[in-house]
Amino acid sequence: MMVEDAICSFCGCLCDDINVEVEENNVKRVRHACRLGSSKIMGHERIRSPMVRKDGELKEVSYQQAYERAAEILLAASKPLLYGWASTVCEAQKKGILLAEEVGGVLDSTATVCHGPSVIGIEEKGLPGATLGQVKNRADTIVFWGCNPAEAHPRHSLRYSSNACGRFTPEGRSAKRIIVVDVRETRTSKNADKQVIIQPGTDYEVISALRMLVAGKGDVVPDEVGGVAKKELASLAQMLLAAKFGAVFFGLGITHSRGRYKNIDNALSLVADLNSHTKFVIMPMRGHYNVGGIGQVLAWSSGYPMSVDFTRQAPYFNPGETAACDLLAKADTDAALIIAADPASNFPRKIVEELAKMPIIQIDPYENPTTLLADVVIPSAIAGVEAEGTAYRMDGLALRMRKLVNSSYPSDEEILDGILECVRSLRSAMRMQGGA
Amino acid sequence: MIIRGGIVYDPANGIFGEEMDICIDGGRIVEDAKGEVIDARGLLVMPGGVDAHTHIAGKKMNTGRIMRPDDSRLGTEPRSGVCRPSTGYTVPNCYAMGYRYARMGYTTAFEAATPIIEARHTHEELEEIPILDKGALTLFGNNWEVMECVHDKDIAKLAAYVAWGLRAARGYGIKIVNPGGGEAWGFGSNVKGLYDPVPNFDVTPAEIIHALAEANEMLRLPHSIHLHFNNLGKPGNYTTALETLEALKDIKPSRMRQAVHVTHMQFSAYGGTSWRDFESKASVIADYLNRHDHATMDMGQLLFGAATTMTADAPLEYGNARLTHNKWSNHDIELEESSGVVPMVYLRKMLVNAVQWAIGLELALLTEDPWKVLMTTDSPNGSPFVNYPEVIALLMSKPKRDSEMATLHAELSKRTSLGGIEREMDWSEIAIMTRAAPARILGLEDKGHLGLGADGDVSIYNLSPEEVDASKEHATVKKALATAKYTIKSGIVVCKDGEIIATPRGKTYWVDAAALQADMDRLMVDLRDKFERYYSVQMSNYAVQDVYVTNPKVIKAGLGAEPLKEVA
Amino acid sequence: MRNIVIAPLAPIRISVEAEILSPDIFAPLSLEQICGLDVWQGNRKRRISDLFRVVGDEGPVKPEETALRLEGDFSRVKRIAEGMTAGTVDVTGSVGMHAGNNMKGGRLRILGNADDWLGREMRGGSIIVEGNAGNYAGAGYRGERCGMRGGEIEIRGNAGAYLGEHLCGGNIRVAGNAGDFPGAANQGGTIFIGGSCHLPGAEMTKGAIIVNGKAKVLPGYQKLEIVTIGGEKYQKYAGDLVENGKGELFIQAGSS
Repeated sequence: MMVEDAICSFCGCLCDDINVEVEENNVKRVRHACRLGSSKIMGHERIRSPMVRKDGELKEVSYQQAYERAAEILLAASKPLLYGWASTVCEAQKKGILLAEEVGGVLDSTATVCHGPSVIGIEEKGLPGATLGQVKNRADTIVFWGCNPAEAHPRHSLRYSSNACGRFTPEGRSAKRIIVVDVRETRTSKNADKQVIIQPGTDYEVISALRMLVAGKGDVVPDEVGGVAKKELASLAQMLLAAKFGAVFFGLGITHSRGRYKNIDNALSLVADLNSHTKFVIMPMRGHYNVGGIGQVLAWSSGYPMSVDFTRQAPYFNPGETAACDLLAKADTDAALIIAADPASNFPRKIVEELAKMPIIQIDPYENPTTLLADVVIPSAIAGVEAEGTAYRMDGLALRMRKLVNSSYPSDEEILDGILECVRSLRSAMRMQGGA
Repeated sequence: MIIRGGIVYDPANGIFGEEMDICIDGGRIVEDAKGEVIDARGLLVMPGGVDAHTHIAGKKMNTGRIMRPDDSRLGTEPRSGVCRPSTGYTVPNCYAMGYRYARMGYTTAFEAATPIIEARHTHEELEEIPILDKGALTLFGNNWEVMECVHDKDIAKLAAYVAWGLRAARGYGIKIVNPGGGEAWGFGSNVKGLYDPVPNFDVTPAEIIHALAEANEMLRLPHSIHLHFNNLGKPGNYTTALETLEALKDIKPSRMRQAVHVTHMQFSAYGGTSWRDFESKASVIADYLNRHDHATMDMGQLLFGAATTMTADAPLEYGNARLTHNKWSNHDIELEESSGVVPMVYLRKMLVNAVQWAIGLELALLTEDPWKVLMTTDSPNGSPFVNYPEVIALLMSKPKRDSEMATLHAELSKRTSLGGIEREMDWSEIAIMTRAAPARILGLEDKGHLGLGADGDVSIYNLSPEEVDASKEHATVKKALATAKYTIKSGIVVCKDGEIIATPRGKTYWVDAAALQADMDRLMVDLRDKFERYYSVQMSNYAVQDVYVTNPKVIKAGLGAEPLKEVA
Repeated sequence: MRNIVIAPLAPIRISVEAEILSPDIFAPLSLEQICGLDVWQGNRKRRISDLFRVVGDEGPVKPEETALRLEGDFSRVKRIAEGMTAGTVDVTGSVGMHAGNNMKGGRLRILGNADDWLGREMRGGSIIVEGNAGNYAGAGYRGERCGMRGGEIEIRGNAGAYLGEHLCGGNIRVAGNAGDFPGAANQGGTIFIGGSCHLPGAEMTKGAIIVNGKAKVLPGYQKLEIVTIGGEKYQKYAGDLVENGKGELFIQAGSS
């Protein structure tokens, strides 16, 4: 059986033109997806059963037993961290938020190690953006700043950006100017018309210089900024001003180098400045396919898109204080529920060491380094393959992930429901005993 | 349930302050009932409030939340009882939306503007808003398929597209915002007026509006077109308002209602040539509405203090941001629309803001027929909806208006006639402007009134309309309206003295209109081509699926559909 | 003066939110009432006397007659002296985040170090830190245009990054170094940095920043003349011109 127009559950491109051949409830072949997406949809060896760690070793238990142990851990904690969320669907994320409210914990997403700084920049300046179809149909000038879509978002260029064709861009690549700004040459810069190499940690100053040049105040700018000659920056500024419709895409190169959210703040200002001369939009290249989703769901539920502290029953937001890495860096959390993420692989070493000290509940279809630390392991159905649900693309567009095959694994949503039920019955039992 | 002895205002059924009992059974108004007795003796009783134009759900609202943690941290209330946490003042979270409307006695609210491709997001948020019945209007005014049909003068195909689009968006009606301008903004420009051709599409805003109005009536939709004029917010734009209204005089409504509903008219009643000589033209607009019956409007009242502007009028938002040096979000939506979000603060000491404040009130007070004017603030553009009691108190009390004006810029009296208006609205008129008229204008036959069969949505206020002089005791009026004594939704008490005690799930209205198969077939050729070449998503993934609207109330319309019941 | 001494009973693990540790809260209460006040430790509500020893003079008095002395390690106690309007708070050790936030008057003195967001959104009064301050000292809340609007903050050690971000009024003085982006998006007020920093005054529109050590200057700053302040020579700059700013930046001459 051929499933058409399936949606890929890997990156923020959320390609929705994937054809999947399913035979006897197995994914046999994937067409149109890039190798990253294909690999995700094809799947691999996974966790077979829920497990609870006893005497240092993971032992198989039933789902109900795993839910009970998870509920015990969460209720015993004064400040549990509920982290991850970016690789599951919104329906699960909603349950997670409810769980965080009920146990009085802190909920954060993988944006904390990715585009969290972009969110803070947006809180300063707003986001002058558009949907990807606008870029496809109109953009004649595209800037990739601190990102490498050729490797991280392989189909971005053909579907949405450099190589896309649209109503006002019928000639595709040949009529576009592609600019790459990075600290070294990348695979993406090989397809660029202009490559600007800057010194690491100087994005902020380079953007300020560009803003000055765009505003016609170039005489104040020094002869070299960030290792780039003023002449070259001036030529870049001219390319931007000459655009009929410009689009800036940016990634971890700029969110996690020196300056962090100030870099994004400044890039947003540059795009706002450019709008007084011509049309420009900017968009973060979201990594995980539904990190956009947890941002949207958390924002409409609590008022904030990430790093929300529910310990005092009312949402409190202060990245730098309430983000996952902040809590772990200060040893200010005493239990963790990790879902659809792999912090053991992605967090700094010292932070992982802190994480290892506390009880950890992991919800994931697959084993990963975080499993080595977990005290409760709960295997789930793969969202977007075995479970339906909503996901938000990097431009904020919501799509419904299809179910391709049946599975006996419970979905993330069902698992969180199971844990919530145990939390509620444990709590009312405690209340009856006159406990807290 | 029996609500005993209230002083009832039910204008749609000719009841203006009569002492009577209201009975509810099975969620609807009935002749007789048993069960819970609510003592409303001597108290003001009205149908539950109906908000026909408010921004409560979707991408724009969420963008407002995300970019404004400074606003989200206001109005924070912890979980308690049956309530999830609340946050936000101008951009509340979903739970606060429901609770705060219910506290004021409102039971129905319609999201003002949704692009079809992003309707899924809107419905996700609507589903999270507790208590209220709701719906969402669907944007059509800057849409490529629409403009091409208009260019070809193909109203039949346009109607087919509207039917298709409403179903894809699970939308309730046609919303038009700065038609043509949103498309021009795709390359950074705007349209300058009703007859300014849209770049690349060779149609004018006038043609777009007129064609959509024709399609609206061809499909016999419950609501008329819902229109945000071109040139909104610009000094001198009242001429665009009059021009546009004139251009729609020939539209024959297919139902007993207006041919066009104009939204937030305050922003389009501006005189002067610049912000320096800016003045009110509300009297001219009101005069037009007094002499013509094809249009209705809502106020779009501005109140001093914080607001967040969010609108599909993206060029306007860019202008706002530059003027006030503010953070600015923009979102252009492929093939369909544009939008912007900018925080705003309206100041008493700023003459322009003072005139804007006066204009909204003038529009309501100078329009003779209250059935033509809805009380709104274009929440949160003019002010967040929690401030509705302030607007109502101003409409009912000349002394309140006078004392407000005394605190404003001295020049104000030269720019507006508000100071000379003696009229004070009474409870009948308020009940019309906030309940009966919005329901009729939207075409919601079971809302806004307490006749037999109507939805059992009732608000009871701690105020005796026979004893309180709304003119002198405006502070009492404002306080009573801010916290209903009882808010009843579908026969369930959801709020008592400001405390939310039940959070039932409301219904989501949407319109399923039928078009001729032949026109649908022609339309599909266009759409398949657009999805193939221009859209960034597949057609099979585009429309809102049933799972996103868990409690639908589907209104059938269109060609060949059964005739819709006329709203009384 | 009414003197009250508070000391932790045991080392604190999960951070405590103790916005009640303020002369304004304590002044009108008896000692017994003070001991019954609540603090939050994660999701657990605790009585202040569960975590701290409280001794001192009886009340009630006015806030300006109240002197709180916090003895020991308060580095994991947040929101100390929040919203204070009068009186004094002296801490012998270090303090957690948000010490002195929203302060309007009175004096907060910390002998140890201060964690992030010292004096956040301060309106008046004075804060002195003998040790170091963390990031965001004298700064604002996310998304707000104005952070600190008045008052004095003096840091005798070093400060972290984003010192005085969104400063609209008041004075901040750091004897040592400041980190990246001091005085970002400032619209008023004065910042003095005794040591070095990186990219001061980003998007500043009004106000002044004086740096005695080294600083990398942003390309939006226009070099003006050499001036003398307090006997020392400084290179004066105007900016940040990306925002048409009319702020003033002074870097000690011969050091950038």
